[in-house]
Amino acid sequence: MMEITENRLSLIHVSAGYNNQRVLNDITFQVPHGAQVAVVGPNGAGKSTLFKALVGLLPLQSGEILVHGLSLTNHKDCVAYVPQRSEVDWRFPVTVADVVMMGRYNRQGWLGKANREDKDAVRRSLSQMGIEHLANRPIGELSGGQQQRVFLARALAQEPHILLMDEPFTGVDAATQEDTLALLDQLKAKEVTVLVSTHDLNMAAQRFEQVLLLNRRIIAYGPAKQVLTPETIQQAFGGRALLLGDLAVVDECCPPAEEG
Amino acid sequence: MFEWLITPLSYTFMQRGMLASLMVGVVCSVIGCYVVLRGMAFLGDALAHAILPGIAIAYLLQGNLTIGALAAAVAVALLIGLFSRQGTIREDTAIGILFAAALSLGVALISSIRTYAVDLSHILFGNVLGVSPSDLRLVGGFGVVVLAAVIILYKPFLVISFDPVLAATLRWRTELLRNMMLILLALTIVISLQTVGVGLVAAMLVTPAATAYLLTRRLPAMMLISALIGAFSSLAGLYISYYANIVSGSAVVLVATGGFLLAFLFAPRRGILWQRLRFRIRKK
Amino acid sequence: MRKIIPIVSVFILVALFLASCQEATVNTSKNGQTKLKVVAVESFLADITRNITGDRATVESLIPLEMDPHAFEPTPKDISKIAESRVVVANGAGLESWLDEAIQNAGGDFILIEASEGLVSRKTHEEEGEDAHTHEGDPHFWLDPKLAIHYVENIRDGLIAADPDGKETYTQNAETYISQLKELDAWIQQEVSAIPPERRLIVTNHESFGYFADRYGFRVIGAIIPSVSTGSSPSAQELADLVDLIRQTGTTAIFLETGANPKLAEQIAQETGVKVVSDLYTHSITGPGGNAPSYLEMMKYNVNTMVSALK
Repeated sequence: MMEITENRLSLIHVSAGYNNQRVLNDITFQVPHGAQVAVVGPNGAGKSTLFKALVGLLPLQSGEILVHGLSLTNHKDCVAYVPQRSEVDWRFPVTVADVVMMGRYNRQGWLGKANREDKDAVRRSLSQMGIEHLANRPIGELSGGQQQRVFLARALAQEPHILLMDEPFTGVDAATQEDTLALLDQLKAKEVTVLVSTHDLNMAAQRFEQVLLLNRRIIAYGPAKQVLTPETIQQAFGGRALLLGDLAVVDECCPPAEEG
Repeated sequence: MFEWLITPLSYTFMQRGMLASLMVGVVCSVIGCYVVLRGMAFLGDALAHAILPGIAIAYLLQGNLTIGALAAAVAVALLIGLFSRQGTIREDTAIGILFAAALSLGVALISSIRTYAVDLSHILFGNVLGVSPSDLRLVGGFGVVVLAAVIILYKPFLVISFDPVLAATLRWRTELLRNMMLILLALTIVISLQTVGVGLVAAMLVTPAATAYLLTRRLPAMMLISALIGAFSSLAGLYISYYANIVSGSAVVLVATGGFLLAFLFAPRRGILWQRLRFRIRKK
Repeated sequence: MRKIIPIVSVFILVALFLASCQEATVNTSKNGQTKLKVVAVESFLADITRNITGDRATVESLIPLEMDPHAFEPTPKDISKIAESRVVVANGAGLESWLDEAIQNAGGDFILIEASEGLVSRKTHEEEGEDAHTHEGDPHFWLDPKLAIHYVENIRDGLIAADPDGKETYTQNAETYISQLKELDAWIQQEVSAIPPERRLIVTNHESFGYFADRYGFRVIGAIIPSVSTGSSPSAQELADLVDLIRQTGTTAIFLETGANPKLAEQIAQETGVKVVSDLYTHSITGPGGNAPSYLEMMKYNVNTMVSALK
């Protein structure tokens, strides 16, 4: 069950990168229990790198990450991750239901069979994402938007304490965007801690209580109003952001090569 | 009427050969599902040929040839992982280099052993007629181990093959699991030496699984169908080799390939001719 | 740096020049007398040849002891050994399939003696029933001591041609040896008579005992590898037929040569209960401490082994 600790997630002087290069520099912040944080920054800022480090895909070059006050390795089920583009083999012989059930594997253990609880969780997630009718479809036969929903459903089925979504609003149709936002509201009710990376500063400001402004190091972190000021935006995005009154437009072109 | 079926079985050496072929056919086909899905066909072939120096060295040291073969296969598998993990060369290239090196080393060693009693051609193409009771025990024992491991490790192998990112998220040790899969593959290849030999084991790893892929939608079904195809190809191949006087390994592979061609053309939904026929019927 | 290239080139050229000079084809013994350099392909041939040459020649054998000559492939070293010799003694009749090419490559100036020249091959199982498309025939003449006498005569004549001064020595040694071979033949006849005729049944690894069987009244029921060469493999049916034949005829033993793969024989033994006798020396003698340090010893050992297995 959800432990009520002060901080669900803590990063302490974390640095990470690829091939001995540093992308993230000395990142320290805490995310309270149940909070929803938008992670914003230009391309190459290290948003994906941060998520990969949180999930354990990337070893830390320094610092530590604590979940519920304990190091990451103690938690087998806490963190669920929905990457921006799934690098999976779409021709693999698995159905939608099979993929979503994979989220439950840590609860079952390697040899355990799927029990009632698992099947219910899978069914719930599928209907939450509106793809219950696709349960027995091989994943190769799905459209892009449907595929994204499958991986979201899997993350939900995991019943995680912390959910990471890497740019879930980028390159998806409006319906999926809306459904994802609705999902975030549901997760808020369940007190799941959520970190979402996005380009969309306006959405970040409107829909998220906390914003983390990142460009290889933390530019600002806190409530949206404090974080998203013209000065900080200028600092983070350089010349690539245009501010029109209350609106911010970010130039998303040409990401630098280092973004992992 | 069934005399042609029974006659070969009246000889115990044929019985043993059949049992060994059957076991090898099933094990290769089951683990072959991962070989096909993970694109490890080249790796499988390379591992098979890498066995040659192991056998030669074991012979020189007067040790057990099977252990030599196994040690060589495992060593090359782990070396390939090491070379390609650095990131400087692709896995494909690493395999190609180690494949050629191991093969050359094996041939060099074998040619230097001027009193070699074990036939090189038997190592390359199998000698199903020479399966002794102790050979059969070995094939059976290792075969059961591999099958049991594939069943027990079904979920981890599935996840690391399909979505390695999820494996990391679930905090599973991807590297360790991958190495275990390679070791199981090495075991499979070693027991296949007897019946299909080094030259043809890659075919048994790939063809039945590829056929099953065309016929099924989910992995458990794919493994089952693959096993059935492997078993049938092995038995049919052995009967054909008996009556047509050809090498058993080749007969088995040819039967399996025939099966693949049939599926390629006629499999429901995926077969090429099936699709064309369906199109024509629709047009009417 | 500029000077290194010419210096290295000169070294390489000198080395190549030295390497291309062949060694003399004779070597000098302690007395200062030049000894004839002879190389025999198989070790049993070397032994027979030594008996004829006596001290007049150094006789080496090409194929290492206890190696299967059917599987032999000459290395560059072997070729140069041939080139450096004055006399090369081979079995002929197809046993050494690589010989023609090797002789072309070797160059040099030597006399080739084909020990089996003039002997007519027997019909093998391979050729029976089909047109004789194999011109090989069965080269295993030496396992019949009476035929080995022809070998001795051919070798003697070849040696005389290469070294006319030794004519007397060679002729005398040959005569002595031939009488030993005749004694051997008589002895074998006597030993074999202890085996009842219905038990004189042999199954061998490959078809090597044809002439021996013909001479001494054995019947070769079959061979695991139904060929005069060890290169091929039996098919399943051939193996099954052999098993049936063994059962029908009541054969009691399978005889393997040293260096043969015992796997298939063991399979048959499992099936039929026959004995596997695995140390017949047919294609090679052994070293001085072994069971068959000379051709004569080899034949005696084989016969003793066979007789005790079949009696």
